Amino acid sequence: MEKKYTIPIGPVHVGLKEPITAWLDLEGEKIVGATIRPGAIHRGIEFMARDRNPIQVIYLSERICGICSFAHVIAFLRAVEDAADYPVPVRAQYIRTLVLELERLHSHILWAGVACYSIGFDSAFHLGMVLREKVMDVLEALSGNRVNYGVATVGGVRWDITPEVAKAVGEMVKYYKAEFGAFYDVVTADPIAKARMRDVGVLTADEAVRYNAVGPTARASGIRCDIREMSPYEAYADFNVKAIVPQDYYGKAYGDVFDRFLVRVLEVQQSLNIVERVMDGLPEGEIVHEKNLNKVLATLKKAEGTGWGVIEAPRGDDTHVVHLKAGEENVNWWKVRAPTYANAVSWPLMFRNNELADAPLIINSIDPCISCMERMLVTDAAGGKKVVTKAELLEKSREKTRRLMQK
Amino acid sequence: MTFPVKGLNAETGREPEELLARIRGLFGEGAVVDVRAHTAGLKEEVQYRDIWLSVDKGRFLEMIDVLAEFDFPMFYVMSGNDDGDVVTLYYHFGIFQCAGRGKRFGVAVSVALPKNDLVVPSLFSRIPGVEYSEREMREMLGITFDGLPNTALVFLPEDWDEAVKPWRRDETGPKPENVRELS
Repeated sequence: MEKKYTIPIGPVHVGLKEPITAWLDLEGEKIVGATIRPGAIHRGIEFMARDRNPIQVIYLSERICGICSFAHVIAFLRAVEDAADYPVPVRAQYIRTLVLELERLHSHILWAGVACYSIGFDSAFHLGMVLREKVMDVLEALSGNRVNYGVATVGGVRWDITPEVAKAVGEMVKYYKAEFGAFYDVVTADPIAKARMRDVGVLTADEAVRYNAVGPTARASGIRCDIREMSPYEAYADFNVKAIVPQDYYGKAYGDVFDRFLVRVLEVQQSLNIVERVMDGLPEGEIVHEKNLNKVLATLKKAEGTGWGVIEAPRGDDTHVVHLKAGEENVNWWKVRAPTYANAVSWPLMFRNNELADAPLIINSIDPCISCMERMLVTDAAGGKKVVTKAELLEKSREKTRRLMQK
Repeated sequence: MTFPVKGLNAETGREPEELLARIRGLFGEGAVVDVRAHTAGLKEEVQYRDIWLSVDKGRFLEMIDVLAEFDFPMFYVMSGNDDGDVVTLYYHFGIFQCAGRGKRFGVAVSVALPKNDLVVPSLFSRIPGVEYSEREMREMLGITFDGLPNTALVFLPEDWDEAVKPWRRDETGPKPENVRELS
């Protein structure tokens, strides 16, 4: 019997730059148990929303995540529009769909690069970083921003597709169709990449269902579930999106890291097709139901009800629940469930009987976003530890620099 | 117990009306609070529905078991609020998640818990994926989930004063002096 150890991975940089801790129980090199401890970045965003009106919360929800920021905005807006029974013009639905797919391209390409980095395949990592610039350029052309786009609003969107943006989108699709194949080759042709990923971090189909795994993580386990197909929303109602599962391509779903890579890479191709369909079928018309924000806020102030928005974000379904109370200007309460919240519950299962060296890869394989999953009421905690604000942190850094300069 | 299904989702869907009829038959008209149809796309056709149900605390598990007769309930999250005398929890599920295009429908089950007895049966043995959500509602709203094995904090810091429940609006909620406005 080998000696048992408990090793913490995290809370800083657990395979990628995200704050969470995985306590791994080891027998030699083999992982026999895992306990996950989130909480390092809980920001209390839902609590903060109670002091803000729905328009202000759009920009708060956008800051939940630096990658799937638009997915959170749309899930939040769909919940508000559900609570207030608020219409969205069809052209706006198409633009929302376009940006959601651009974001999926951005997220999956970034992830594919980072996954290669975690197996030591640095040239593919750098290729990923180069590739994702193109979609970020398109997002910048559309919205002026690369991360938080500020595109959507209650009842529509704020920015229209101009001929210049349409041209940039067309060029991007052409570019990716020519260049992205290298990542597909990494999955199917590179024996070392395959050896590192096949049969590592397995989650069976049965477990994926019982532990409510979502998105590419669930699909890699063979679960044919994609909200874009099963409950079409926005312009997905006009496109026949099909959930991508490994058994359709390789006959069988292993539910391992390799399959998660495969699903995401194939979804990049799928996204490119959806982007083309959106651009071809973009209907004419208004992009927002009501431009005057004061009128929008007045309507929302009269609304009473709980709204629920579920959409397929890059990492899985993103769920927002919002309660509006008649006569109240602010959001009464709000609950955010990012895909990582659901997928992180399955981590301990994926670690079983794997090698310690594979732990960062397994953590990466669900494409975790801890900032999404957590949202902290910043208080002075009873035990004397203190949470510092950004301004205090900046001041402390300056103090240290001054101290160093005096030496 | 766990649900008497193999674990995989149903591959053929059924209409939400069937579920509604079953719920109305067992729990009365009042159990169905709302049925919302969501339209989208150029034709503005209905794409999917969300069903909002309500149940007494005593018959909560019975209702979840009825959902499981149709399909393994895909659990999304629990939302909730301090509504004065009661804390209301909303369990959000998806049914027929894998049954083909447009077949899925959302089911939200609300259960009101009186403040003097904030206990509800845990769904952990039926749906292990509820763990984080039940732990979150325990630390944020002070709900006890009967049967939840791990009750450790999930999002709040280790040294958190557990008498303070961040989402409550009564004396157990955060005081103004607890909240530090970010610059």
